[in-house]
Amino acid sequence: MRKTLIYRSLQILSAMAFVVLISSATFAQDGAALFSGNCTSCHAVGKEVLGPDLKDVSKRRNLEWITKWVKNSGAVIASGDPYATSLFAKFNKTVMPPQNLKDDDIKAIVAYIDAESAKAPKKVVVAASGTSGKAEGDNLGLILVVCGIILLILVLVLGKAVKGLNKVVRQKEGLPAPIERKPLAALWFWMRNNKKLVAIILIVFMSWSTVKGWDTLWNIGVTTGYQPDQPIQFSHKIHAGDNGINCVYCHSGVEHSKTAGIPTANVCMNCHKAIKESDVQLDNGAVATEEIGKIYKALDYNPSTQQYGNNPKPIEWNRVHNLQDFVYFNHSQHVKVGKIECQTCHGPVQEMTTAKQYSKLTMGWCIDCHLATPVQVKGNHYYDKIVDYMDHKHPGDTIKVANIGGTECARCHY
Amino acid sequence: MEKQYWKGLEELRNDPEFEKLKNQEFAEELPLEEIFSSKAEANNTTGRRDFLKILGFGVGVATLAACEAPVRKTIPYLIKPEEIVPGVANYYASSYFDGRDYCSIIVKTREGRPIKIEGNELSPITKGGTNARVQASVLSLYDSSRLKTPLIDKGPATWNRVDKAVTDKLVALYGASKPVEEVKDKKGKVVKGGAAKGNAAAGKSGNLRILSSTIISPSTKAVIGDFINKYPGTKHITYDAVSFSGMRMANEETFGSAMIPSYRFDNAKAIVSFDADFLVNWLSPIEYSKQYVAKRKLRGSNKDASMSKHIQFETALSVTGSNADKRIAIKPSEMGSAVLSLYNKIASKAGEPTYNGSDLGKADESIKEAADELWRNKGNALVVSGSNDKNVQILVNQINQLLGSYGVTIDTTTPSNLQQGNDAEVKELIDDMNNGKVDGLILYNVNPVYTLGKAQADAFKTGCAKVSLKVTFTDREDETASIDGFIVAPDNHYLESWNDAEPKKGHVSLSQPTINPLFSTRAAQESLMIWAGIENKSYHDYIQDHWKKNFFHEGKTKEKHLMFEDFWNKSLQDGVVELTAEAAPIEKGKDKPKEVAKDNSKDKTKAAPRTANKTAEAAAGIQKSSGSGFELVVYEKTGLGNGNQANNPWLQELPDPISKVCWDNYLALSPGTAKRMNFKQGDVATVSVNGYSVDVVVLEQPGQAADTGSLAIGYGRTNAGKTSSSKTKVIGVNAYPFSQFVNGSIQYFTAADVKKTAKTYELASTQTHHTMMGRPVVKEASLEEYRKDGKAGNEQEYVVTMDGKQKPEDVDLWASKENPGHPRPNHQWGLSIDLNSCIGCGACVIACTAENNVPVVGKAEVMRSREMHWMRIDRYYSSDAKKGDLSNMEHPAEQPQVVFQPIMCQHCNHAPCETVCPVIATSHSSEGLNQMTYNRCVGTRYCANNCPYKVRRFNWFKYADNPKFDFNMNDDLGKMVLNPDVVVRSRGVMEKCSMCVQRIQETKLVAKKDKRKIKDGEIKMACSQACPTNAITFGDWNDTNSELSLQGKEERSYHLLEELDVKPNVVYQTKIRNVEEAKA
Repeated sequence: MRKTLIYRSLQILSAMAFVVLISSATFAQDGAALFSGNCTSCHAVGKEVLGPDLKDVSKRRNLEWITKWVKNSGAVIASGDPYATSLFAKFNKTVMPPQNLKDDDIKAIVAYIDAESAKAPKKVVVAASGTSGKAEGDNLGLILVVCGIILLILVLVLGKAVKGLNKVVRQKEGLPAPIERKPLAALWFWMRNNKKLVAIILIVFMSWSTVKGWDTLWNIGVTTGYQPDQPIQFSHKIHAGDNGINCVYCHSGVEHSKTAGIPTANVCMNCHKAIKESDVQLDNGAVATEEIGKIYKALDYNPSTQQYGNNPKPIEWNRVHNLQDFVYFNHSQHVKVGKIECQTCHGPVQEMTTAKQYSKLTMGWCIDCHLATPVQVKGNHYYDKIVDYMDHKHPGDTIKVANIGGTECARCHY
Repeated sequence: MEKQYWKGLEELRNDPEFEKLKNQEFAEELPLEEIFSSKAEANNTTGRRDFLKILGFGVGVATLAACEAPVRKTIPYLIKPEEIVPGVANYYASSYFDGRDYCSIIVKTREGRPIKIEGNELSPITKGGTNARVQASVLSLYDSSRLKTPLIDKGPATWNRVDKAVTDKLVALYGASKPVEEVKDKKGKVVKGGAAKGNAAAGKSGNLRILSSTIISPSTKAVIGDFINKYPGTKHITYDAVSFSGMRMANEETFGSAMIPSYRFDNAKAIVSFDADFLVNWLSPIEYSKQYVAKRKLRGSNKDASMSKHIQFETALSVTGSNADKRIAIKPSEMGSAVLSLYNKIASKAGEPTYNGSDLGKADESIKEAADELWRNKGNALVVSGSNDKNVQILVNQINQLLGSYGVTIDTTTPSNLQQGNDAEVKELIDDMNNGKVDGLILYNVNPVYTLGKAQADAFKTGCAKVSLKVTFTDREDETASIDGFIVAPDNHYLESWNDAEPKKGHVSLSQPTINPLFSTRAAQESLMIWAGIENKSYHDYIQDHWKKNFFHEGKTKEKHLMFEDFWNKSLQDGVVELTAEAAPIEKGKDKPKEVAKDNSKDKTKAAPRTANKTAEAAAGIQKSSGSGFELVVYEKTGLGNGNQANNPWLQELPDPISKVCWDNYLALSPGTAKRMNFKQGDVATVSVNGYSVDVVVLEQPGQAADTGSLAIGYGRTNAGKTSSSKTKVIGVNAYPFSQFVNGSIQYFTAADVKKTAKTYELASTQTHHTMMGRPVVKEASLEEYRKDGKAGNEQEYVVTMDGKQKPEDVDLWASKENPGHPRPNHQWGLSIDLNSCIGCGACVIACTAENNVPVVGKAEVMRSREMHWMRIDRYYSSDAKKGDLSNMEHPAEQPQVVFQPIMCQHCNHAPCETVCPVIATSHSSEGLNQMTYNRCVGTRYCANNCPYKVRRFNWFKYADNPKFDFNMNDDLGKMVLNPDVVVRSRGVMEKCSMCVQRIQETKLVAKKDKRKIKDGEIKMACSQACPTNAITFGDWNDTNSELSLQGKEERSYHLLEELDVKPNVVYQTKIRNVEEAKA
């Protein structure tokens, strides 16, 4: 009886806790979206970006103050609020632009920031997490090699033992000693006596080499893993991973154009006008401050005087993804209309220090995806006719890209 | 943004050998003989080793190149211009005017490069139409033969030196006070030299002349006005290579104002034209072809179909003449008499006095017919003449007055500003130059040494020696600029400059730069402003001020704007502005036409010609027909026009609409005349007139008037640039020297002496068959027949099957009623081509070339039938031969009727090409497109063999980066015109019309992003957009309400070679002629 009571109360308690957790989680999640949509271009949690570090902001200021500040920071500064004026002075007298956010939104964002602040601080040095995975892989290989060597030694020792024992047994039984043959002749003799085994080994070997050869031929010109050196050691990991900057913030063409676009230096300057130096060291040894300096050099910008010179020089990046000229590929079709995540094709860019070609970018790879990916027909009247047709002809089927002609030649080749 | 530079393998980046090998399609032959010969061995002991090195290197490069992808750079903007998204095109409204054609345009730019010209539909004048020259003008921007810097004494100079040289001379002439000052920009670079400050010193007045082509820009005129104020004694003379001076003189006599009225072909039910090629060359051809076809389009019920009736009297078979319902070939010297005869016939109907003229014999019957037709349509008739003879034009005015055309088909209240040339003043200028009365000469957009008649050109050259200050604004070292002593101050290309235009009174438009000047060039206006001392003001500001002062006033613009900024921005965005009548400024010295016209419009018939005695004078002044002698007429071609774009390979390769010859001009003789004079096609004749003679090839041209020959101007340029230059090869011969000054205006015909030479010469022609060989390719009917039967001329074709005769569409190898074949679930794209609207001008061909990166192949390849144009316009002569009489099939009649038929890939649903491709490089899409996949093609050419329409083109060579095809694609500059959305095809693959699939895909994507369906008319093909007559319509067959589907339902619609049952997606409409009985 007592047990059940305890159980009951525990059940209720856990249910309540669950509800609370869920609700706060949704709150925080909204906040996450709002934060990344509105704040990340200038702010981060646990780090000073263009604006102040927002970690534990709710501990420093109350929600009411924050709301006022977010909506119109200029007015707060003008009111003579000492905290506000000191912030203003600290950040190069740049006013935070007024944000068109509702009170609830701001509350959600603060809740998100609180949640993020509570998390363990992220490692500053990128190297640690990056190399650990690599080391694991290397260890595995080493273990395999060691095992192989041990096995080989074992086989040799056992073979020797068998031979010796055989000799001894034959001697004991009075049989003549086996004929000593030269190694090549011995192999030949063995092969004659084991024709079936030899045939099987040959067939296996030929099949293996055919498959390997075929694969090699197919992969000519496939540059998966291509990771060229870049003039600036830009780390996607720091920007997109650690700081959570949305891909579209820099690759702004992705929703409008066929090219996602390499960000222009003025986009870099949105943040790096304020972030002039950083002691972050990249895992390839580059020092962030030096790399930021390269942007200034390209723009002929003097960070101390904040003046642009008249000798700018464009940055010559090395193209990572080189699609053949005879292929037409449109980013906005995939990202805006198809709602495909960047990572689907580009892989975990947020974990890459230097950008790398993740996918094969072969036609087979494209087609495989077009055969499997459903079309975002919902709410898009462009597809009305197709939907009617498919409902009529193949009721119940999902409409795949291939169903709307996504595997036809002239969709990409013209 | 993404400029991609191929730098080859990283490790080999700077190796010159590698660069050389990479860039060469045909590696130069290895000098094996030299290397192995003992002589070479003796001279150069390392020859063999070098050879081995090259060989080894070559193999190495080839092996490495096969394995390693080259490193490609991608260079973003440092600071991105706000309006540019890389990969997305921007469009800017602008205006095209080259001294001759006016067209309001939209310029498509990609990453800051103009790549395509489209018509501006907001323009009330050109209404979205273009022509071949306008379409091709974007390539002229990227002409590597343009001057890169100013020239002094034929050597490159800085602008500072030019300004100093010019102002020093001006100071010397006018004795002005202040020395030249330099203006420096921030970087300390001299941007322009200062001008002579202060006004001309008293007492001294130079004799400056500005010789320009027609200027329709109000601001440019104001700049010239300011220059003249600064340097009194300066005179501005307008000279047009193809002159309308006679017409202006005639109108001065008739109306008291030397103006040219606006013509309204859309109000004309009867049109009689005397040698006016108004559909492609005369005055404002884009405007007129739109109007002309508007009156000839047939839609809806055939019972009450109506069309204008067009009768053309002309010498050479022109595009306009070939579209006419009735065409009469007469000699050029008879043209005046023909006009007089028509006047007499109309006058006798109207009860006006008639005058004596020469007897025209057989042509008189046709003139009588024309007079009857005109009189029947009195009040809706129009007579035009291309003559530059004042007397002829006066008679034409009188005829129009008697017919009551003024106020209906001729609008004198909104005069045209085109063609302001004054021949008499030009002649006076040349005389003055030779008499030493001219101190300074400034040339703007004219090339008199090339375009003047022989006598005048020679006189101009000698006169130049006596002029101390000679400046030209030409963009290249042309025939005139290469005279000693010229200072060349190159003008910007029109796509690089600000400008404005007023082609017609009350219709103003703006030109805006769509790219920074490519070279060190400067707008001519800016040069004049600097020399006139108007400094610290760009030409852009000057235009703005001019517009503020003259066009932005209360009640002046039709749309109201409070602020000038708004007005300016709106004007810039639209490209065109309409002013209210009272606002339109009136040119100095050119008064409003006297009230004659208005009176006439009220009382059309009775208004007695104010100038009755002048009519008599004119009638007396008409040149009498000279009898039986041979006459030469020089005319303009649709492609090259007056020759100012002679260095444009697109225009050179555009086949002439009539002869289908490209890359040459020729002496066209009628087959009968040729036979009589013992000429065969390809013989070279010597044509001589007054001491000027040329050797030119003879072409047998059906339709040419007997005993006449015609020769096109625009060719024979010795200094046009790399395409036509005396240093390399001159294309064609110059026909301008045959023009003559007669009675104060330039005449473009003359009696000539023709002699046969022993030489022969081969022409490159894209169509060798002149007739349809008895097959129903083009269907036509007369208007009468069409009224009776909507399917007239468009009889149903049948195929014979086991079950008897059947309609081709009912016979199907693949589909049946139960299994309807491949579905077209969303779209089925198609084209509809109205043969009744197509005038054959060729704008679509150039538009297609520009849109789809079609290479230029050159004359030699065209002669091997290897032209690459994705679309062609077939021209057929109606043959008088009876069906079945094969012997005459290929010989058209002496006076044939002409039909034009644009042909591109028909996108057959049962495409014969698709079934024969061994590698499935050509296949069909679910949207009905016949797709061509270049990267899959192995070049068997089976598809081209199996195509019944012969629309597939094989890439015999890699035309890009190939010095053997030294046209725009072998030129870093010329390549900038390429459309980045369309691949540049390589050697060994087949290509063909893709139905501008890149445009379809682009618009589909826009619709998808907007989550809506595609609207009808939203997608336009390059050809349909360029067409000045809307003859081509693109649409979706699945949309039953689309314009395409509606046109497809017309009774005139038919599929080309329907009996083959290839089910094309392209449909044609029968041509209807407004004649009594059908010829077909």
